[in-house]
Amino acid sequence: MTRLRNVAVVAFAQLPTVAHDPHRTSTEMLYPVIRRALADCGVERGAIDFQIAGSVDYMDGRPFGFVQALDVMGSWPARQDLHLEMDAAFGAHYAWIKIQTGEIDSALVVGHGKTSEGDPRRILNLQLDPYYQAAIGLDPIATAALQASAYMARTGATDADLAAVAARNRTAGARNPEAQLREAATADALRETPWAVEPLRTGYLPPVGESATCLVLAAEGTAERLCDRPAWIHGVEQRTELQTLGARDLTRSPGAQLAAEQAYAMAGIGSAGDADVVELMALTPVEELILHDALGVDARTAAARVNPSGGALCAHPTMSTGLIRLGEAFRQLAGRAGARQVPDARRAVVHVQQGHCLQQNLVWVLGRERRWT
Amino acid sequence: MSAAEPPKEPVKYVDATVRLPYRYVAGDYRATYLRALKDKTILGSRCARTGKVFVPPVVASPESFAPCEEFVEVADRGVVTTFCIVRIPVIGREIELPYVAASVALDGADISIYALIQECRPEDVRMGMRVAAVWKPDGERVGSWEDILHFRPTGEPDAAPATYLDRL
Repeated sequence: MTRLRNVAVVAFAQLPTVAHDPHRTSTEMLYPVIRRALADCGVERGAIDFQIAGSVDYMDGRPFGFVQALDVMGSWPARQDLHLEMDAAFGAHYAWIKIQTGEIDSALVVGHGKTSEGDPRRILNLQLDPYYQAAIGLDPIATAALQASAYMARTGATDADLAAVAARNRTAGARNPEAQLREAATADALRETPWAVEPLRTGYLPPVGESATCLVLAAEGTAERLCDRPAWIHGVEQRTELQTLGARDLTRSPGAQLAAEQAYAMAGIGSAGDADVVELMALTPVEELILHDALGVDARTAAARVNPSGGALCAHPTMSTGLIRLGEAFRQLAGRAGARQVPDARRAVVHVQQGHCLQQNLVWVLGRERRWT
Repeated sequence: MSAAEPPKEPVKYVDATVRLPYRYVAGDYRATYLRALKDKTILGSRCARTGKVFVPPVVASPESFAPCEEFVEVADRGVVTTFCIVRIPVIGREIELPYVAASVALDGADISIYALIQECRPEDVRMGMRVAAVWKPDGERVGSWEDILHFRPTGEPDAAPATYLDRL
């Protein structure tokens, strides 16, 4: 593997995820989070070279709404800026690539979205093609249920298996003060919850939530000044699958698998089994089981290592859910994960997705030590 | 049948009417500002670092990145810093043409707001002209930017350019 620049996550801050913040607009939620991340680094805004945001104008209900965030991002004097209509973790990937070019040494990555102001299920229905899929009313829960049915038929997974995955995440989420669902739930209790879209129960799905997030990336030479325990990026890759759901095998995620293989190769590891912590952006228990296969997570040891944060099932603030996975990996490696700390975590694998049924996948490997010397 | 020869009828378009309702949070800053308009009061917020006053109030100075947590009252009158004469209809607004849209630096504010200038001929509007808000009558104000009907000339002498050139 070519020697790349060692780049690290040096700070992460988020607002606790809530169903609805009645006091602040999306960008007003973002401002204190950026301040806190910079304060953690001990620098002023001017010390960071580049900024990138992840948000969806349709969620916020205002065309070109993302530019409003510039006013709270410290964008003056005029900055190099980029915006992605994707989860902010994909923005972190862009920032990592830009740092690799040598053009910049540090980047601010933010995610924001006011999910409660509109109708997310309706909006995400419009993500599908307008002729055949959107027109019959498919939304992310319906497509996830199609995926779940197909997966259960292929593998023999049962309702009890789904409940067990959900319960493990919910139990972990009870230790995360920034999760939206912070009450542990047993598998038996979750199996009593009503169907959302059969075979998915309401207890298997994340609540609608909103937050704001900020992560700071820095290259070797800068990172050490901003953080005493940076989380170094060892590998990263993303892969996107087809838009037409019917053209994909929804019970597998070749996109996540390929991204993982490439990220592992860059990191010099064999599988997710080499990681002490795994943060998966699984929006249903079935997606988590599919990701176990794609990323090589051993289900038998999952309880101790996978989603100590509670995962996306306990908090899914649109456009930030993935960046939170990356932030959680940083906190684990930096020893800042509080009650959910995995003892002596040295390496983490992070998965992020976007789109229906694991369409776009991004996999990171991070570690306590620098990757390249 | 060949894809190169599509049917002339009946399908040429697929209708998809999309309706997406939103309910924006005003936010505490905007709510405080709008509520004050009901009392014919215009509020701004002061930057903790530079002392600049932003109207409407903002949580942070886009310029200095410092918080703006102190609310201050500014005047309901000020000076025209730039303007244009609109002679084409604007979607969503029913205003008699032509009309003047102006940037008005209120006394006590460091950035200007946008306003309509009426009760004078468009050709008489000029940079430096002193203008004041014309409020809706008592009992009709609801806490909305529309509580200010428009601005009109005060008849005071024009402001000297040096007093507003840094607030363009």
